[in-house]
Amino acid sequence: MDIVVCVRQVPEVADAELEINKEGTEILKEDLVMDINECDNYAVEEAVRIKEAHGGKITVITLGDEDCEDVLRTALAMGADEAIRIDEQGFELSDAAGIAKGLYRAIRDLSFDLLLTGAQSSDDGWGQVGLILAESLGLPYASLAVGIEIAEGKTIVHRELESNTREKVEIPLPAVLTVQTGINNPRYPSIMGIQKVRKIEIKETDSEELGLSEEDIGPMGSSVASQRLSLPAVGEGAEILTGSLGEICEQTAQIIRNKGVI
Amino acid sequence: MTPYRTSYWCIQHVWIFYLLAAVAVGVFIFGLLIHVSVWTKGIKRQTIPFSWRGISNLFLDGLLGRRIFRGDVAAGTMHFLILWGFLGLFAGTILISVDYWLYHFLEGSVYIWYSACLETLGLMLMTGLVWSLIRRYLQRVPRLERRIDDVTVVALLCMVVLSGFLVEGLRLAAQTPDWAQWSFAGHWVSLLWANPQGALSIYPYVWWTHALLSLGLIAYIPFCKLFHILVAPASIYLENQPLQAILVETRGQDEEVFSYRDMIFFDACTRCGRCVEVCPSTGAGEPFAPRNFIVWSRNNLLMKYHPLSNFNWFTNWINRRYTQEQVFDHQKLWHCTTCRACLDVCPVYVVTPDAIRQARGKVVEQGTQIPPLLTQTLKNLYKYNNPWEATKKKRAKWSQDLEIPDLSKGEETDGFCYFVGCTTSMDIRAQELARSFARVLRHAQIPFATLGNKEPCCGDIARRAGEDGLFEKQMEDCVELFAHYGIRDVVTSSPHCFHTFRNEYPAFQALKPAEEQLDLRFRHYTLLLRELVTASSIMFERPLNVKVTYHDPCYLGRHNQIFDPPREVIAAIPGVQMVEMAHNRANSLCCGGGGNRIWQEDLDAEVKMAEIRIREAEATGAEILITACPLCLIMLEDACKTTGLEHTLQVMDLNELMAMALAPPASRCEALRAGGGQVLAIADRPGRW
Repeated sequence: MDIVVCVRQVPEVADAELEINKEGTEILKEDLVMDINECDNYAVEEAVRIKEAHGGKITVITLGDEDCEDVLRTALAMGADEAIRIDEQGFELSDAAGIAKGLYRAIRDLSFDLLLTGAQSSDDGWGQVGLILAESLGLPYASLAVGIEIAEGKTIVHRELESNTREKVEIPLPAVLTVQTGINNPRYPSIMGIQKVRKIEIKETDSEELGLSEEDIGPMGSSVASQRLSLPAVGEGAEILTGSLGEICEQTAQIIRNKGVI
Repeated sequence: MTPYRTSYWCIQHVWIFYLLAAVAVGVFIFGLLIHVSVWTKGIKRQTIPFSWRGISNLFLDGLLGRRIFRGDVAAGTMHFLILWGFLGLFAGTILISVDYWLYHFLEGSVYIWYSACLETLGLMLMTGLVWSLIRRYLQRVPRLERRIDDVTVVALLCMVVLSGFLVEGLRLAAQTPDWAQWSFAGHWVSLLWANPQGALSIYPYVWWTHALLSLGLIAYIPFCKLFHILVAPASIYLENQPLQAILVETRGQDEEVFSYRDMIFFDACTRCGRCVEVCPSTGAGEPFAPRNFIVWSRNNLLMKYHPLSNFNWFTNWINRRYTQEQVFDHQKLWHCTTCRACLDVCPVYVVTPDAIRQARGKVVEQGTQIPPLLTQTLKNLYKYNNPWEATKKKRAKWSQDLEIPDLSKGEETDGFCYFVGCTTSMDIRAQELARSFARVLRHAQIPFATLGNKEPCCGDIARRAGEDGLFEKQMEDCVELFAHYGIRDVVTSSPHCFHTFRNEYPAFQALKPAEEQLDLRFRHYTLLLRELVTASSIMFERPLNVKVTYHDPCYLGRHNQIFDPPREVIAAIPGVQMVEMAHNRANSLCCGGGGNRIWQEDLDAEVKMAEIRIREAEATGAEILITACPLCLIMLEDACKTTGLEHTLQVMDLNELMAMALAPPASRCEALRAGGGQVLAIADRPGRW
């Protein structure tokens, strides 16, 4: 049961005060902490669990700059066996299809039974890379997997649909699945574990080696171009309450009562 | 006729006795070697230096049973009787061997005294044994367990003593020597036989029974809790040996997480249950007890490393031996608050908090069984260098209106640094500690600075979680920063940072070449406050007229023996009446936040530890509960609210109490201007008063 997992490094934004550069093209990342994309982390964990149950080898692959090695090392510490990094150069401002092209070229020669990606990345959030990859590879796929069972030559995938409903689909292997958060409880990669995988060599490749030119990727190769990033405007309707703690509580209660909540 | 006793009187085929003795000693040595072979599997990186303190502890704790008497005089006396009865009789046996083999001296008055002493020792031992049975089975002292091992050991010892008196009685009945009354106990027994011939006829049988029981006891020692006779002294001696620093990168792939010391400590445990009595987690009704952890660890080690561990019947037996109820598993490791109460009362110094930390290390390395919230915390520590998921910008926010000098921006303070700590920097409640401390320092005109946004985590949380890789990384970051900014004197808000700096860093730093080692002084703020108060650098201008009580934080009190400084500071504040809680000083009760408990989900408990503590504080009638740790502050204040006591009791940090009593705002401004200090903009928190 050989598995390939696509991972991506993204900035942690949960508690950060985001700032955007003047041109409106990107988020300023100096003060941001980088980490593995949440869905991808679940995908890695799921791959490790499948490997633990069925054996096989896990290859993790990412597209990004040198710092993205951290994400690969973390995945290796969690239980992956090999890692590939496609250098980001040339891929800047690519849309989902552009990124998928890079991944496709790197993956097409690998032999695997299962290809996992996160359902979507927390930064761009297209949710498309996994599916475009599947189409490029000509493989069957299922998105939003919240449960994966492996059987002889096939996989049974539980998909998360709306309003708490689930769909159970059976797909022949090899297949591509995009993994939703909550599918498992990702393990903690200890620093000791990360140090232990230090010796594993990360295979490096780039757009040139993959045979991709400027027309294929980057802004020129993309059908979707980002116009401008902006922070949501501060809306109206917010009221800052003032006074002592008691007064504020009193006012809050009054508002809740007036709005007819209680 | 000269009083004496013939060895092997009326006994034939003495060689059988020697043969059996050889077998018994063989079994004893085999059992001992099994334990030693397990110990050798533990981590060992440092030699054991000679220590006079170790020797004196051996005498005081081992021979005199100092720690057994402490807190339980009855247990102490009982153990003393057994220990000295046993040792004395053992010495008596050696003397008689010397007399028989080397030099005959046991005759005349020497023999009479010898016999009378042995009578007394035998009676002491018997009294102790019966007392121990009464305590365990009639009085049913709550901390004592009643397992098979507990009764077999005492029963066997009883039988040895009784059969010994019986042999003696029969011999005296058969021989009727003039000096029989000196062997008083044996003499009483001998009165049961009017007919010397009758006594003589059964004498050899009873002699052999006594011999077999005694030899059986020797063979049994390494396989039951009597093994503590040998291991407890080792454990006591090792107690004050310095902490072993084992760098993550030097660890072998499948190396054991426990050190040989831990393994010796585990073997020294007799399951006396003193730890269970004082454990705050057990006390709160949580499914955790230090004793269960020790027994579980010991069993695991035996199952892994025992020469017979390949046989299922053996592992099954070990499994059943003490853990029929499956009382412990790795999930329970996370209950421990590492408060050190168990270690403080343990007669043989079993270092449970440290062993727990190492056992956690194994779970952390494996990665899938860590409590989810703690997993998150550890990830945050790695990513943000603090557990609060706060970006660097937020680190110094508590001080933004205080204009506190920032070392990372080139301020000079003659090497003095206030290390604020993650929780004190970021938790809104705990920030008051820092703000008040800053105000006190300003008042006393002590120039100080912080590391501002650059301040890292000291590594305490990672260390307590057994995530030593992360701990080492954070430690190096800290040490590097201290060196970079020329810091030589560090004062911390949190006893946890203080403990990590003071007690955990040095062992690791000592591994470095001498020129890279830093000479740093670490203090908790209570020590500095006491200095300020004794040097009269503080002008209190407002008598507070309040009654307060003080909660000893575990990492300040038990871990670092700082009990008096905070009390002296409280005593120096005018108008403050101090009352003690039922549990205070070394006996203090944990708030439940230590050992990373504050970073986990609430665990199953009948009642929260902090609530137990807050009730104790309430019972003193105090209006304010003072503490000196940001974690205690958060935990206790929460408990104050959940118990509905917030209107009768207030939880405060010592700095806050002190700041309240400082000079009122107007004169403070003048004083500060005169001293060239900054004027602080801390409100006097009128809402709370």
